[in-house]
Amino acid sequence: MPRIDADLKLDFKDVLLRPKRSSLKSRAEVDLERTFTFRNSKQTYSGIPIIVANMDTVGTFEMAAVMSQHSMFTAIHKHYSLDDWKLFATNHPECLQNVAVSSGSGQNDLEKMTSILEAVPQVKFICLDVANGYSEHFVEFVKLVRAKFPEHTIMAGNVVTGEMVEELILSGADIIKVGVGPGSVCTTRTKTGVGYPQLSAVIECADSAHGLKGHIISDGGCTCPGDVAKAFGAGADFVMLGGMFSGHTECAGEVFERNGRKLKLFYGMSSDTAMNKHAGGVAEYRASEGKTVEVPYKGDVENTILDILGGLRSTCTYVGAAKLKELSRRATFIRVTQQHNTVFS
Amino acid sequence: MPHIDNDVKLDFKDVLLRPKRSTLKSRSEVDLTRSFSFRNSKQTYSGVPIIAANMDTVGTFEMAKVLCKFSLFTAVHKHYSLVQWQEFAGQNPDCLEHLAASSGTGSSDFEQLEQILEAIPQVKYICLDVANGYSEHFVEFVKDVRKRFPQHTIMAGNVVTGEMVEELILSGADIIKVGIGPGSVCTTRKKTGVGYPQLSAVMECADAAHGLKGHIISDGGCSCPGDVAKAFGAGADFVMLGGMLAGHSESGGELIERDGKKYKLFYGMSSEMAMKKYAGGVAEYRASEGKTVEVPFKGDVEHTIRDILGGIRSTCTYVGAAKLKELSRRTTFIRVTQQVNPIFSEAC
Repeated sequence: MPRIDADLKLDFKDVLLRPKRSSLKSRAEVDLERTFTFRNSKQTYSGIPIIVANMDTVGTFEMAAVMSQHSMFTAIHKHYSLDDWKLFATNHPECLQNVAVSSGSGQNDLEKMTSILEAVPQVKFICLDVANGYSEHFVEFVKLVRAKFPEHTIMAGNVVTGEMVEELILSGADIIKVGVGPGSVCTTRTKTGVGYPQLSAVIECADSAHGLKGHIISDGGCTCPGDVAKAFGAGADFVMLGGMFSGHTECAGEVFERNGRKLKLFYGMSSDTAMNKHAGGVAEYRASEGKTVEVPYKGDVENTILDILGGLRSTCTYVGAAKLKELSRRATFIRVTQQHNTVFS
Repeated sequence: MPHIDNDVKLDFKDVLLRPKRSTLKSRSEVDLTRSFSFRNSKQTYSGVPIIAANMDTVGTFEMAKVLCKFSLFTAVHKHYSLVQWQEFAGQNPDCLEHLAASSGTGSSDFEQLEQILEAIPQVKYICLDVANGYSEHFVEFVKDVRKRFPQHTIMAGNVVTGEMVEELILSGADIIKVGIGPGSVCTTRKKTGVGYPQLSAVMECADAAHGLKGHIISDGGCSCPGDVAKAFGAGADFVMLGGMLAGHSESGGELIERDGKKYKLFYGMSSEMAMKKYAGGVAEYRASEGKTVEVPFKGDVEHTIRDILGGIRSTCTYVGAAKLKELSRRTTFIRVTQQVNPIFSEAC
């Protein structure tokens, strides 16, 4: 007999943050840096905990070079070669503390990642990313990587529920990626019917992770700086962004023009486009679980970064949080039926 | 652990007013004039309590000239010079009782406000307006202004919750501006995730203010006369309008023509447009929290005013309120999932 969980689960669009009294005088006073010590690697981190997603369009070296200037993080996509990595490490040594090497659970991925981490030892973060973090195979893989790299900080996912967050942390992961299907180019929910509203997923997973001194990344579903603020308010230690960083100069792919408008391609990493590019096509037994969109070209990512960070600072002043760390403690979400006035949109 | 308030908060679009039996024979019998006596200034007010917002596109002297003929109020934007104020005051002495002079919390704003109020003592209203009325800094500022101007009526905001309405009233404000993010050119909710649905905010804040004999302004979120009626029905003493008064002859800015259609610019006061105009650009540490739109030119504002006042009179007859004052007492909101039959129309 199927069971229905009658509690309504919420997305970012279902809530707003309630303002609270504040002794801050200006947005400029807000400190967005956070410092973490990770449970299993014992490493420490300090920076603005926003991560560019490990997608081949946005998780690029060019992006990492700009992000690093703002103390932001980039999960570099897994399709760069060892030589690409060596070149980047030589040209941008200052960036290496703010990047992660990515891998799926395949043997080839693991071998390449191992060779990169050996060649570039300054990289201390690993991003283990599979579509379905619930498989026993993935749990075993996380244990294997932990045994092989005892002092690297491991991000692993994706999952959306507390018990699986706990399992992955106890298997050796430090930071759990949370999100199944919320992304703008993700079609998992339409193709499979599986998913979990992102705000509720973050609240529940953060609670589980923090109980074990682990950390989480809210991965996907942010469409505007306000959503990033809500993810942090919900308890995310890190927020990972794909679509919001797409369409910039630093993204992979060419700018093209149609009807006088400049565009760039953006696509999910399980889309036809990505599978054709990296796996020689969509395997017979699977459906593509991502789509390809043309996004308007937005220029340099610098402007978008300032817009996001400015928005977050404003959120913190509205709820009286002098530091990003205090945001979730100061967060009261109210349920709403619309986000904003749509008269002119 | 973040907290979720599980009550769903409502916007104007989520409700309609339920009609009630009425003995009124005609809309023309409805009296829209209200009289208030303010808690801290001890001044009295009489007029139709609709206010043009203190935005540089709508809170203009040209707007004030027309609005005061209808006993409506204008919060004049803070970017006029003392000389411009003096000139206006000399030519339009009758309008001055229906005006407020505006200021932010900056010292240059405040110095100019002092000069204006000293030069033109007939202006008895001050509008203290900041994006985030929750800062302690603002509370202190309201106290200072109250001390400096004990007999002026002070409007202050913006806030959206009862405890902050109470704090500002007890700090010396008379009328609290209520609304964070509902405006048509406001992007605060997108940029920060912060906000409060306007109908619920007005109901909760009106309750808090009236308990202390204070008053509130519902500021933002009205897209049609029906929304103005709902704001009054929810307990607002005043309703402030920006977008609904934008695009008229009396609005600031030039008329633009494109493809034979006429437009006027309208923008939020924290938009890139406004920050470039008055602050030399958007500071590095902040995001713009407003947008710029081209609204179709609507001609003289007089027609729009008649449309709004006619709509509210009709609301009053539907719910059996002979006076605007009675509207909130006669109000029962019903929750709905759509406002109008959309077949031949846009949203509202």
